[in-house]
Amino acid sequence: MSWLDTLTEDTARAVARRTARRGLLGSLGALLLGAAGLPLLPVARGASPKPAGAGAADKTQDETQCEYWRHCAIDGYLCGCCGGSASACPPGTEQSAVTWVGTCHNPADGLDYVISYNDCCGKGTCGRCLCNRNERDTPIYIPFESNDYDWCSGSSKANIPYHCSTARIVAPAK
Amino acid sequence: MLAAGALASHAAAAYEPHTNYMLQCMGCHKPDGSGEPGRGVPDLRTSVVPFASLPQGRRYLVQVPGAAQSTLSDAELAAVINWIATQLSAVKPERFVPFTAGEVARYRRTPLIEVSAARARLLQQAR
Repeated sequence: MSWLDTLTEDTARAVARRTARRGLLGSLGALLLGAAGLPLLPVARGASPKPAGAGAADKTQDETQCEYWRHCAIDGYLCGCCGGSASACPPGTEQSAVTWVGTCHNPADGLDYVISYNDCCGKGTCGRCLCNRNERDTPIYIPFESNDYDWCSGSSKANIPYHCSTARIVAPAK
Repeated sequence: MLAAGALASHAAAAYEPHTNYMLQCMGCHKPDGSGEPGRGVPDLRTSVVPFASLPQGRRYLVQVPGAAQSTLSDAELAAVINWIATQLSAVKPERFVPFTAGEVARYRRTPLIEVSAARARLLQQAR
């Protein structure tokens, strides 16, 4: 094995003759500093993900989304997906006379609003965008604050079918 | 005292009477109190003030299930009935005697079972 000892010794001495002892520390230091500085560059910030809920993709401001802020206590199909909007029934349906009423918090202005969840009645079930969030809904044995009713059965035309649900702003809750 | 009572029992969300009307009553009785008389939802505009002039009527207004079983405190329920009588009534509210939390608490302990029969009797007396 003496040939291996000789090779190792010769190589090590050759490296020691060619390089300065402080050169290694210098190079390592530069590398470490460079690595620390890298995330501060604008390139790094530009590539980082945006905080959730910002910009046009904010689901709390899109009335075709279950996450839309006015849908906080809804239980049904969103009229915004059924040819109507969060405030208006689709053509060919009529708004239920009686309704479930609750409050929702609007993250855009930080205020609470009274929301009326009028059902739209007179056509078969829409079937799109089922949304069941039920904030402050109570079980049906506490009936006055339960939203599990078909409000269409209380409309002017008896027993007309349920199509979809709106979420109209009534007033600020104060 | 009333406000202090309401704050103590409902510290989380103390709303004005109009907001409590919207949250607890409006879904069936409509924003103007007109209700759906043809489908069993009474018109508050023509019944609350006449009923409040009769002792049994005052009991009924508190004991009727939609009022007695609401999540409102006694003080809040008194304030909502007073708000309906003064803001929505089609009958002149000059002789309306406001409810207090104490009066509501007294009536609320007794449940009203035969609601429709009690209301029919009151309608005859109030005329």
